[in-house]
Amino acid sequence: MASVLALLEQSGLAIWIRESGVLYGYPLILFLHTLGLSTIVGLSAAVDLRLLGFASTIPLASLEKVFGLLWAGFALTTATGALLFVADATRHASNPAFFVKLAFVGGGVATVALVRRRVFRGRQRGPFLAAASLGCWVVALTAGRLMAYVSEFLS
Amino acid sequence: MNPAHLHLLLNHVPTIGFAFGIGLLAASLVRDSDDLRRAGYVVFFGVALAAIPAYLTGNAAEFVLKTAGEIQRDVVTAHQNAAMLALIPMEIVGLMGWFALWRFRRWHQAAILVLSIVTFALMARAANIGGQIRHPEILAAGAPASAPSWPSPAAMGAAFVLDHPWVWPICEVFHFVGLCLLFGVMLLVNLRLAGFIHGVPLAEVTRLLPWAMAGLGINIITGMLFFLAAPDQYTQNSAFTWKMGLVLLGGLSLLYPTMFDQEPDSTFDILHAAMTRKLIAACSLVIWIGVIFFGRFLPYLGME
Repeated sequence: MASVLALLEQSGLAIWIRESGVLYGYPLILFLHTLGLSTIVGLSAAVDLRLLGFASTIPLASLEKVFGLLWAGFALTTATGALLFVADATRHASNPAFFVKLAFVGGGVATVALVRRRVFRGRQRGPFLAAASLGCWVVALTAGRLMAYVSEFLS
Repeated sequence: MNPAHLHLLLNHVPTIGFAFGIGLLAASLVRDSDDLRRAGYVVFFGVALAAIPAYLTGNAAEFVLKTAGEIQRDVVTAHQNAAMLALIPMEIVGLMGWFALWRFRRWHQAAILVLSIVTFALMARAANIGGQIRHPEILAAGAPASAPSWPSPAAMGAAFVLDHPWVWPICEVFHFVGLCLLFGVMLLVNLRLAGFIHGVPLAEVTRLLPWAMAGLGINIITGMLFFLAAPDQYTQNSAFTWKMGLVLLGGLSLLYPTMFDQEPDSTFDILHAAMTRKLIAACSLVIWIGVIFFGRFLPYLGME
């Protein structure tokens, strides 16, 4: 496992992201990661607030189209997240905050998929899933934001 | 033009703008005019937004004076604290004005009028102390720059962040939560404005707007705490100037879905509105994405 991480970290791509110092390298990837995550979390939060009873007159059917954009945001976040991971593989893999973040991103994504497949089809009432979804995103954001501090604290 | 110059341009906006807003609101009471009332609220909201760069450029101006070696430290500090003491109620009036534009209630008007007058007095005091920085001739002989009993929120805010190592990381977390709320709701509202989402009246979608305002509010508070703790890091960074300029524009762009959420009725209006709305939605999204861009690039771009 450690050798795989080291291999990733020593790849040309990882070295370029980490060390090239160009604006279209690490900073751009970080920006796109933020743009993607604010799209998925923001749109998901808006749908969740609707399911929790705010603006309850918005018909759910009219929000169906939002999910396409939401998954596009997820794809962007995952792709850029993979690049950011590769650039610092060993450090991230030894950071508990990183795994907390991954777990709760997984939870958030699962709730979004369930909201789409069950609540939007009228098979299940929304508030419980919506609250779970909001909770997952807040924990994921917190763990993600604190990763740098946890890693600094551990080293 | 240097930042001190920019501060001199902007620092008149809060005081004069609020006087103007109070005048409009008072006139709306006399004439019982909804149009005047709404105009007053728009002025309060806009001035509250413009007051933020007015405050921020103050630190930039201080930096200029500091490097020129001519600074009266105690007057500047008193001015800064007086400005923050006025900025806080000013942001509250701006928020209340926005709420009144979004859903008007009778009590909004009285509350806003009273608080805006108090704010105006506090802002006039801040402006008066500010004038003494470069104009000692207006100071009566022996008069203190400010009474020591006034609260000093700017210094307290900075000390709060600097004395507790957990405050900065926690503020970063909240800054991201606020960002997601603001961006998510703006995305939804603008997708509806642009016609990408349909089957729901715009007036229903705009019921989510207070969540965008909550996000904006969280980010103004947490952002201000970052700024108070490390002002030079921001005032000396051109990416920050761009970011704050775009925040001002983005905040103003919030007014469109807030005030014009009625559906057009005639065919001409529908065609005309569709174009206008698409354009406004595109501008608003570009602005907010730009805010995220310059925020993220802050450490990499614009550091001299």
